[in-house]
Amino acid sequence: MRRGVFAAVILVALVLPVAASAHATLKEVHPGEQDRVDAPPSEVSLRFDQSVEAPPNAIVVLAPDGRTLSGPVSQSRRGTVVRVPVHGAVGGQAYTVRWRVVSADGHVATGVFTFGVDVAAPPPTEAVGASGMTWRDDVARWALFASLALMIGVVGIRLLVLPRAVDPLVERRVYLLGTLGAVLALNAGIAGFVIRSANALQVSGADLLYADLSPFAESTRFGTAFLVTTFGFGLCLTILVVAWALDLPMLRWPAFVLGLVLVWGYPLSGHQATEPNSTVLTELADWVHLVCAMLWVGGVLTLAVVVWPLSGDLRRVAFLRFSRIAVALIALLLAAGTFVSIERLPELDDLWDTSYGRTLLVKIALVLVALAWGGFHHTVVRPRLERGESPPGVGRSLLGESVVALAVLFAAAVLVNGAPPPVDTGPTSAASTPGR
Amino acid sequence: MLPRAETAHWLFAAGFLFFGLVVLAEAIVGQAVFRTRTWRAYLWPSLALLAGAWLWLIAIFSTFSTLHLVAHSIWAQAATAAGAVELARVRGRLHSQYWSLVTAGALLISGGSFLVHEQNGWLFARSAFLHHLIGWTLVVASVFPLGAALRPRRAVWLYGFALTWVAMAAMLFADRDVASIFGHLSELAGGKP
Repeated sequence: MRRGVFAAVILVALVLPVAASAHATLKEVHPGEQDRVDAPPSEVSLRFDQSVEAPPNAIVVLAPDGRTLSGPVSQSRRGTVVRVPVHGAVGGQAYTVRWRVVSADGHVATGVFTFGVDVAAPPPTEAVGASGMTWRDDVARWALFASLALMIGVVGIRLLVLPRAVDPLVERRVYLLGTLGAVLALNAGIAGFVIRSANALQVSGADLLYADLSPFAESTRFGTAFLVTTFGFGLCLTILVVAWALDLPMLRWPAFVLGLVLVWGYPLSGHQATEPNSTVLTELADWVHLVCAMLWVGGVLTLAVVVWPLSGDLRRVAFLRFSRIAVALIALLLAAGTFVSIERLPELDDLWDTSYGRTLLVKIALVLVALAWGGFHHTVVRPRLERGESPPGVGRSLLGESVVALAVLFAAAVLVNGAPPPVDTGPTSAASTPGR
Repeated sequence: MLPRAETAHWLFAAGFLFFGLVVLAEAIVGQAVFRTRTWRAYLWPSLALLAGAWLWLIAIFSTFSTLHLVAHSIWAQAATAAGAVELARVRGRLHSQYWSLVTAGALLISGGSFLVHEQNGWLFARSAFLHHLIGWTLVVASVFPLGAALRPRRAVWLYGFALTWVAMAAMLFADRDVASIFGHLSELAGGKP
């Protein structure tokens, strides 16, 4: 009887999907995504891999001022090609195409792309109707920063600060946190990319599952950074688990160095590379700022959740060694942060007149709290540990500093996603959107 | 920028065939004989880890829908988790037989993702048919590592696990983006009404 029920359930489960129909994928568009064409096109067409149902607004062509230039939708006989005539497009302007068709399975396939007539087309993140960053982008970016602090910071501090031979429990937790950091970095990166694309697509929920993200992956700076860092962090994850499984601690070095190199992807796709006054120096400063922050936060976390709870013998040496490296990290962090802040906010009153400036003030306030906390550890706890004493409550105090450090990372995430005020670099300059 | 889906599938089919034959060889001759050369013990965990790294590469080429991107990243993480745990077992860092449950979970999650990410019905085209078949094969095959965790002495689990990958290879080699299945091809995919 039980076997019969089991067989029936399996049979139903296998048969059910037959009822589902087909889902369409976009194969070709004309004009192409981000193409620069010589003359205004007379029509815009999309070709799918199967027939689709095209509602009246299946393709909407928008002028930069938001006017609709597209006419009524028509379809090929097989229903695989959808097209609209375009009226009123002129040279020297970029246009946005938003499309939305219904597959035979009832799912909505959707996408957006741009093209320019005798002018370069902007990336799809700057398409007409695209919204700016939301709190979801900030949370995803913060999760990414926090996970990098685990992957790069904790593993880096293990390699640079802790003695070669440590308690196996400490070693195991370092591996656990590093691997967890890599997994979280990968998933936070994917979430951030999807959320960012959704802002431009203006879709959510089930529609987002079937949305075409390829224009964002292939023709935006943040998309390129996403592709490279995702594959790279995937390699970091593989190297870290091999190092753990085979007990080959030296393999952590390539994972750490690869992680440091990959962090460069964020300056390359952020304000320090896209603003009109960006230079290699601003990108380098941003990278140094990020790396020092990851190592500092990772160091405090290592002391708080690895060394203090697991190894009484290691506390003194780990704290003293980290204190020495922390001074250099903080100095570099502040120098690089001050430099890029001045580049983004050349006028002092931008600090309180712009939302970017106000966010920076919040971040500076949190950094000051963290510095005061760290300064207390450096000037009060360190001398007592040097004298061989065991001051009470240090573990809890380190946890508190970790929480403040994570709050600083959240302020940094909001800042990275915000738009700095335009910088005047001459008559032709224009501010760009972060992470084009 | 996108490689043909079949190319990626056939590449993985070749890997799965090799993987399946390695495990099948171990099942036939027995673990003691198979592992007289130490490196052989590392073969299947290493192949799983390699597949995980490769799947990240495939994942970044799968941005044509959010669902494909997420599904490939899930397979990459599942393969990495299973490979890492088996590597640690071979090395002696993990001892409990219940670690096989990680591989069982990886197969179950991978199969589920396969079924969810295939947006077409069974008879839409050959690739859709095979995706459904592969998804259910992986879901059902999760019983083999589950059995190995609960009844580790029975050889049937290793045979089943090995043949799963041989069958997976056969299915992936048969994959085509749009091709008929059983002489039928959906009108939506270009079949004649």
